[in-house]
Amino acid sequence: MTVRSVPPSSVRPGRLSIAGLIARAGWSRLAIYLLLTLGALGAVFPFIYMITTSLKTYGSVITGNLWPWPPLGAETLQWKNYADAIDAIGWDKQWGMYLFFRYAINSIFVTLAVVAGVMITSVLAAYAFAQMHVPGKNFLFILLLATIMIPGDLTIVPKAVMMYQFKNPFGSGSWYNNYLALIVPFLASVFGIFLLRQFFMQIPKDLFDAALMDGSGHTRYLLTIVLPLSRPALVSVALINFIWAWDSFKWPLLVTRDSNMRVLAVGLQQFLVQEGGTKIQLMMAFSSMVVVPVIVFYFFTQQYFTQGITTTGLKG
Amino acid sequence: MKTRKLFVALSLLVVAGLVLAGCAQPTPTPAPKPAAKVEPTKAPAATQAPAATKAPEVKISNPPKTAEEVDAIELKGKNVTVLYWHNRPQKDQDFLQGMLDEFNKSNPYGITAKAEIGGASYNDVYNKINAAIQAGQPPEISVAYQNQAAFYRAQGAVIDLAPFVKSKKYGLAEADLKDYFQTFLDSDKNPQYKGEVLGFPTQRSMEVLYYNADWLKQIGYNEPPKTWKEFEEMACKATNKEQKKYGWAFRHDASNWASFVFTHGGRIITEDGSAYVFNSDAGVQALQLIQRMFEKGCAVEIPTSERYGEQNRFANGEVMFVLASSSGLPFYKEAVDKGAKHKWDITIPPNTGKPVINLYGASVSVYKTTPEKELAAWLVIKFLGEKTQTAKWAINTGYLPVRQSAVADVVAAYKANPAWAGGLDASYARMFDWAKYAMVEAPVAGYDPVRALIDKEILSKAIADPKADAKKLLDEAVKQANAILKENAPK
Repeated sequence: MTVRSVPPSSVRPGRLSIAGLIARAGWSRLAIYLLLTLGALGAVFPFIYMITTSLKTYGSVITGNLWPWPPLGAETLQWKNYADAIDAIGWDKQWGMYLFFRYAINSIFVTLAVVAGVMITSVLAAYAFAQMHVPGKNFLFILLLATIMIPGDLTIVPKAVMMYQFKNPFGSGSWYNNYLALIVPFLASVFGIFLLRQFFMQIPKDLFDAALMDGSGHTRYLLTIVLPLSRPALVSVALINFIWAWDSFKWPLLVTRDSNMRVLAVGLQQFLVQEGGTKIQLMMAFSSMVVVPVIVFYFFTQQYFTQGITTTGLKG
Repeated sequence: MKTRKLFVALSLLVVAGLVLAGCAQPTPTPAPKPAAKVEPTKAPAATQAPAATKAPEVKISNPPKTAEEVDAIELKGKNVTVLYWHNRPQKDQDFLQGMLDEFNKSNPYGITAKAEIGGASYNDVYNKINAAIQAGQPPEISVAYQNQAAFYRAQGAVIDLAPFVKSKKYGLAEADLKDYFQTFLDSDKNPQYKGEVLGFPTQRSMEVLYYNADWLKQIGYNEPPKTWKEFEEMACKATNKEQKKYGWAFRHDASNWASFVFTHGGRIITEDGSAYVFNSDAGVQALQLIQRMFEKGCAVEIPTSERYGEQNRFANGEVMFVLASSSGLPFYKEAVDKGAKHKWDITIPPNTGKPVINLYGASVSVYKTTPEKELAAWLVIKFLGEKTQTAKWAINTGYLPVRQSAVADVVAAYKANPAWAGGLDASYARMFDWAKYAMVEAPVAGYDPVRALIDKEILSKAIADPKADAKKLLDEAVKQANAILKENAPK
């Protein structure tokens, strides 16, 4: 099938009709855009559902009213759901604040620590794998990749047992119910090393030779040349680990027991009362607040993120 | 050059560390050890008994095997801490801790009890407990369904509470024991472990039939169904597919299925816990009923992703019948008040002649630590089961109190509470009459995977193909369930 192309001059700029668009882009491209639009809508729909539900009354949630606000309905936006969601989680007597904020502080601290740790370990390991002559490094790399194949659920209990058994070097007790358990096991990411290694391998060796001639060693070469060149990949690794650490639920639940050690994702589950029910609008209000940092972070880094994914050979 | 070598060494160290971390295997974990050695405490001189009247020394095993051994444990001055893992939300955690604070102030032994949220579901707590058992650091007590307690018992991690209950010094008096609902107590006697008491009830609930009374009246019935035949007839008469209204909301829930089997005269497992038997005639009839309901389009499937979808649809007048836990009553009340505002009520599930109730509500199990801690744990459970406490807890959560003497207080509180307006206090009160019909599903280790199997191999297949051979589906599932039972049987 041939697609007839129309000279650009035949389409008036600024006011394109659908026919004009089709003529300009061609049916196949239109189909692709249509599919992409549908895909994007599919991806955005849960967010729209979350935000709209968070602003409804419980009655509108129950009756399945999609748009209870003017002009279709008479309800006002239920911003108080957000305050109610914070209130529903409870009060932290130790710090004298809503547990929501205590959870948020824990989430921020744990996430930042994990991301920082992952960045350091991933950069060092990926650089060694990509740029250095180390005997057996390919074998080591394959061994490392093999650990990705082990399902996380399979190792979660043994890892939790370790947290009970490891002694806390900064105080009494073990790592259990301590920031150590929330942070240390995730200070290295095999995926991060893999992604950065792929990126570092694309940096021409000539650059290193030139740097060497200028008296640079590995450390300076890594810090002054490799890292600035690898910003998109670094942002990708940071973002992926940020999302992962921020959303982590099972692990924090397993290795903490005090409310004041828990994170936002654990707090979210409190809206589901077993053998009872749930207030979906409050749960959605809570969820909306939980995802805000992820969206903000992505918003500011999405350009680098896209570049990072496309330049590391990870695109589909 | 030195820097380079250092850099290579550092990088390799990081990589090697990562590989080791990835490949790390847990070290073999010993059976749970006593969490902490209780320091022998000197009794004050003034209270020391004279040598001549000293009772013969009783050797205390861990866990204590007889009531006499329990009597011989001395708690005063030991300042034992009891940690309680449960699955209730923060609001209930605060309430529970409030009750425990009273215990902490009033108990003469210096016991400090602390409640902690182990997760939002029984499964969360179960996973957490399993990891803690492997690490040898379980809490002193936790909520546990009977089958979960049996699983912990298989690892030697929970103890038999019978000696504590019978203890003259610390146990329950005859009158107290009679005050407990007998079926509630019986549900914790484990058939796999010769009737050992692996948990003790502080709350209960049961599966009841929620029905839309207005809708029922509209289609010409003044009473809810008493038999499954009536249920089927009413549900089908109520169904209007064009309006997306259905007689019954089907949930992917093994407990729902158990109710169907019980009320058809069957059992999930034999009384001695030796074999699954839900492929009996009762099981076949129950499954065929479900299949007929789907074949005729009188039931609607609630997808597992739609959490509490049956509650919302019921509240919105989209389904007429729902089989669900009685602990959901306050939630149903609020949902209907905000939804279709129709008249509704609960009733005992339909049956084929003999009324039966599927008893819900996890008990509290005690973990093997030290005799002193185990005794302290028992005293906390005993406190939570007292009339005042069980009534308070029931009023706060919607669960049923475990003592008959608490019923009047709870019903009166519900009557006075505007959130329970509309005659629901009367429905609530009726549940205590149904308690005597209680049955439990399968108090055996490994029932959790069997529950998943029931949904996957029986329920999902039966509703996907209402013409599928019910007996064949059940026989195949029972075969697999018995293999799981064998695998988890006491060694």
